[in-house]
Amino acid sequence: MSLDFLTGFTIFMLALIMVVSMVPGLLAGLESSGIDYDAVAYRTGVILVEDPGWPVYPPWEMNGEAHKDEIERIGLAVSKETPNVLLSTKVDAFFNDSFFTPDDYRSKAIFGDIPYSYNISLRSGSDLKQVGDPLPPGYGYIRRVVKIKEPGVAVINGTFAPQYTSLSSNQEFTVRLDFAQLLDPSVGAAYRIDPRTEPVNVTITDFLSYLNTTEPSTNATLQTVTFWKKDPTRPIPQFTKIPFSYSTVDPNLYTLHIDGTPTLHSLSPGVPVESNISLVLKPAATSLFTLDQNSILDIRFNFGDTPSRTNITGIHHYDYNPTNVTLPDLRTGVLEVAVW
Amino acid sequence: MVNDSGQLYTMEGVAAGVIMLLTVYIVISTTSIYTPGDTHIPDMQLEQLGSDVLAMMDTPNAKDSTGSDLETFVDADDSTGFESMFLGYCNMTAGATDDLHMSANVTYRDANLNVIKEHPFVEPDDSWTGRESAVRVTRWVQLDLQSSPPRSPYGSRAQAVLVEVLLWRA
Amino acid sequence: MACMNEDGQWIVLMGLLAALALFFLALIINQSALVGQTTAEGVLEFPKSDIRDLRTAIFDYVDKFGNTVDPDSQAVREDITRISLERKNAVVGFTVGTPQDVSGRPLRPVTIHYYNGVTEYDETVYY
Repeated sequence: MSLDFLTGFTIFMLALIMVVSMVPGLLAGLESSGIDYDAVAYRTGVILVEDPGWPVYPPWEMNGEAHKDEIERIGLAVSKETPNVLLSTKVDAFFNDSFFTPDDYRSKAIFGDIPYSYNISLRSGSDLKQVGDPLPPGYGYIRRVVKIKEPGVAVINGTFAPQYTSLSSNQEFTVRLDFAQLLDPSVGAAYRIDPRTEPVNVTITDFLSYLNTTEPSTNATLQTVTFWKKDPTRPIPQFTKIPFSYSTVDPNLYTLHIDGTPTLHSLSPGVPVESNISLVLKPAATSLFTLDQNSILDIRFNFGDTPSRTNITGIHHYDYNPTNVTLPDLRTGVLEVAVW
Repeated sequence: MVNDSGQLYTMEGVAAGVIMLLTVYIVISTTSIYTPGDTHIPDMQLEQLGSDVLAMMDTPNAKDSTGSDLETFVDADDSTGFESMFLGYCNMTAGATDDLHMSANVTYRDANLNVIKEHPFVEPDDSWTGRESAVRVTRWVQLDLQSSPPRSPYGSRAQAVLVEVLLWRA
Repeated sequence: MACMNEDGQWIVLMGLLAALALFFLALIINQSALVGQTTAEGVLEFPKSDIRDLRTAIFDYVDKFGNTVDPDSQAVREDITRISLERKNAVVGFTVGTPQDVSGRPLRPVTIHYYNGVTEYDETVYY
């Protein structure tokens, strides 16, 4: 009895050991990363590169910490008609990993029931942005070649001085954005100046050329920067001052730098300007102005000194004229998604 | 002491072993049909990359530029410029550069003879043996009317030509 | 065989259990392989970039020629259909209509037809 049982059980155990030792070999032949992970990486790549995300307007990248839950899907494309052309503001928001947690990336960009690990990187020239963990061996991968659209800059340098100075100056300089012209659908989405999604950047340099020469002075005082709007579809269109917290410094809404110093000023700075003024109006601020596709937005720089220390005056149009606004060329980049 | 039940445990052990081994054999023979090599994933990745590169070369960099880089290269028959830009875009990664190779043809229609012709645009380099699993990606390019000198070999008329790129990993 | 001892049958039962476990494992592995295969094949088979490229080419044509019918535009149209059939194995056709007023802009109705034997694509777009 015992000898018989031993023989039978030994044969069974030997066979079982053989089978168990074969199972890992069976799995090793199927590098699982080459299968499901590649599909997930491909899907994430498509979502990021070919989709503007959801919500589209107001764009998801404007949602702050309080409204993060409203972001349903992260996409970096400028619009759904322009796959592979990414918007730099969306890119910056996406790669801000102090704002998005790993769970946000999983639920808004990668999707899937399994908590995948990821590493997403975007390289353009020597500029490298990256989120996620270091790569282990054996991961799913996709690489997409993209173009990145940067916002335009209106640089008002000394060459504009003859045009924008007058002896009968009212010490007010205006930068005018005509939305009907900017949002004209005949301009492709990849080259559009859209203040609702991209920052408006106004830089006045060579301020010396704008100073009053008859009244010798080395600076002029920038009293206020105000925003005015006009809606031409109204019965009696006229410019009205937009209510805004002009005296609060908020780098999420705008940044104002004077003379190249890192100090952030409010929009009623009352400080002397010697060489330059740089104002960046963020889309989060523009969205507070309740503008539509016909509105005209004025940014008015007021200098108030008695006697007048600057001759600056006039209206600078923020439009598609390359002398008025410098639109940088699209930059080529490569977006890599790795999932494991 | 000797009875016929002596064989039973042994027999059943052998039976159980045979069942398990047979299952393993069946399992191995069925699963090995789908291995990663058969799933075309590297092909899919290469094809996606190639189409992206051609699409981006065909996107003008500025609003008022006269044409895309791709149009300029085909119009001027500038094969070295095309090859270096294409491979530059293809092999760019966050870390070390990749090792992809390419060759390209342009298919056009000769309107006088009304036949489709192929123009070898970029010849394959030494790494091409014919055994690579290469993928083919294509892009339409529209050429403007150019009266003189006639554009070689496409001719001077306004036309649409198809750029075909063969892409492989050495 | 009346005095057959059936005490040893649990060994066969164990063997069967192990075999069953292996069988389900194999099923799961097969499924996971299929996920990757179908994704890659789906991506390769659906001519997404081909259709996108064709649309761009047709829009370029409309930019250049509008809805005029003359030998020059006919030649380009024939380039697109003939080369598509020859090199892409796809039947391609498109028409461009007269401009219509679409929310204040004069846009041309463009119909696009694409069929490569597997995927058929038809679109009417105002461009």
